[in-house]
Amino acid sequence: MNAELVAWAAASALFSIGTAFLLLRRQLVAMVVGIELMVNAANILIVFHAVRRADPQGLAVALLALAAAAAEVVVGFALILSMRNDENEAPESSHLRELSG
Amino acid sequence: MSPLPAAALVLLAAPLAALAFGFFVTHRVRPRTTHLPILASCAAVAAASLALLGGALGGASWSGRLFTWISAAGVQVHFGLLLDPLSVSVLSMVAVVGFLIHIYAVGYMRHDAAFSRFFLYFHLFFFAMVGLLTSDNYLQLYLFWEGVGLASFLLIGFWQHKPTARAAAWKAFLTNRVGDVGFLLAILLLFRWTGTVAFADLFSNPSLLSSQKAFIVGFLLFWGACAKSAQFPLYVWLPDAMEGPTPVSALMHAATMVTAGVFLLARSYPLLERAPGLLPFIALVGAFTAVWGAVGAFFRKDIKRILAYSTVSHLGLMTLGRGGGGVFPAVFHLIVHGFFKAALFLCAGNVIHGLHDSLGGAPTATVDDAGGLRASMPMTFAAFTLGAVSLAGVPPFGGFWSKEFVLAGAFGTPALAALGLLTALGSSLYIGRMLFLTFLGRRSWQKGHAAHAHEAPPVMWVPVLLLSLGGALAGFLAAPLARLLGVEPHHASHTVTALSIASMAAGFGLAWAAADLAPGGEPAWRSRHPALLEAVESDFGWQPFCDRAAGAVAGAARFLGDIVEGSIWDPGTEDAAAAFPALSEVLGRRARGILNDYALLMTAGAAGLAILVSLCF
Repeated sequence: MNAELVAWAAASALFSIGTAFLLLRRQLVAMVVGIELMVNAANILIVFHAVRRADPQGLAVALLALAAAAAEVVVGFALILSMRNDENEAPESSHLRELSG
Repeated sequence: MSPLPAAALVLLAAPLAALAFGFFVTHRVRPRTTHLPILASCAAVAAASLALLGGALGGASWSGRLFTWISAAGVQVHFGLLLDPLSVSVLSMVAVVGFLIHIYAVGYMRHDAAFSRFFLYFHLFFFAMVGLLTSDNYLQLYLFWEGVGLASFLLIGFWQHKPTARAAAWKAFLTNRVGDVGFLLAILLLFRWTGTVAFADLFSNPSLLSSQKAFIVGFLLFWGACAKSAQFPLYVWLPDAMEGPTPVSALMHAATMVTAGVFLLARSYPLLERAPGLLPFIALVGAFTAVWGAVGAFFRKDIKRILAYSTVSHLGLMTLGRGGGGVFPAVFHLIVHGFFKAALFLCAGNVIHGLHDSLGGAPTATVDDAGGLRASMPMTFAAFTLGAVSLAGVPPFGGFWSKEFVLAGAFGTPALAALGLLTALGSSLYIGRMLFLTFLGRRSWQKGHAAHAHEAPPVMWVPVLLLSLGGALAGFLAAPLARLLGVEPHHASHTVTALSIASMAAGFGLAWAAADLAPGGEPAWRSRHPALLEAVESDFGWQPFCDRAAGAVAGAARFLGDIVEGSIWDPGTEDAAAAFPALSEVLGRRARGILNDYALLMTAGAAGLAILVSLCF
């Protein structure tokens, strides 16, 4: 019971922090980090329940999610790095304004 | 019931293969040779059905499933073939007559630019009829029934450049739709009440339908048959349907189209029998139609129109036979009529063909254009005479025997007997008049049309002669057909025979008097009663009434199209559609194009969805 509470509390905290990062920060790297936090919040719950049910399939899913997240970070960071300008400022979401109405 | 033999599969496979080959290969490569695969398919179907007929005479009958057509909750329809004595006997007539008409069409359509298209439509017509006759359930029969309707529409309007042909095609199609509503309702009611449309289930198990329900279904089936088989009040399309090329009229009147309704009623006989009062009603409608058609035929001048009204009359006789005496008289008359009516129509085609040069390319001729053709068209004259005596019921030719059986069944009821005898008189009256006016006499006032007439080529008179011989000798078919259908034919008493022969002879006598072969123009009796002629010309107002009814429906459609759709519905939907770009214009100005905004919207959407899901489950 206690362990479950801890797992859910940790996951919720991580998810909320990740969401805040995604919504409030303008730096693109920080936004990607926020997404990663959300993914990991979900992963914590998957691992916790897989262990409780002694279900190896759940662990496999968690590993798969980790691998996908890693690949996603690689692509995301590569895109963000390619946006760097000459002043070496960190790229921000306000630099991407093509969809402005 | 034995499993299907190979010959049964040929019935459907040969026409399908010929149509596919004709459409995909010869129609594109060598359009003038499209008739070759199609004639081969006709020959195969005729051979297969005669082989089946031989088997059926030996007591065999076949049925089998080809595949499951529709399978849904509670509804199972199989696509199968049912070859029982009824379908095999009608099928043999249709195949043989159809084959001969196909051969004739090669000669008749030789110079037509759309030769290839004509044969594809023509064979589609034939294929649909073969499929109709071999169906083993109502839904499959309905599929081919509509196929026959479609092919007839294409063929009646085959000469699309003529406005009258287009109008006639629409008239036929729409009138048939009015009837098809009845047939469709009958099928839907069968589904609802019994859950099956297979003949085997419906007829072997009388407890499926109470007699009231059988009456409703039977009446709706008869309503459908009325349109297809040109019974009063839905016969109006048939006289106009002769706008198509003559082989089409022959096929339609003898073998494929109009017999479909008679066949449907014969097929449904076990059901009709259980409906109280339905058979006498059907007999009465048939008898009335028979007289009505005979009256129409007597006054007409257009040779194909005379024959068309004569078909209406004889279909009435078949219906009378069904209502009065069971399946046998109707089916026997259907078969005999198929032979002689095909012959008569093709003779009319020969006359039109022979007079072609002097008619200036008109697709039909009147009895005034013809006259005295006996000498210039001897073969056609012989064939027409044989067909005419068969139709009029001169003993011992085919029509005599079949009419005897019809009248024998009708003689239980005085009204039916009177109408039947009147039809016997009328038949010899109109066909005698046509025979005398077209082939006999020296009518010098005919603008010389007939003087230039010439006999048709052998490819056209040989099939005609064979058909008329078939009609003349069809009396021999009575005994085998009765054995096939397993009935003891109800022979007419001597009184009936004497009365029918007397009516026939009186008809010929009147025809001789009315035809007025002496030179000098219109027979006196015609010019003396212009009002009568006018009334008959419009079928006593029935044709104009149908035109007005169709016009009213078209007017309602125009109201829906112009007023409801044009002024109300279309502007409304256009305004609604225009609101969306305006809305996006407003919303678009609010968008900053920053990624965080979209992330916020997405998160809010996901959260909203999660709340919704948790509330619902």
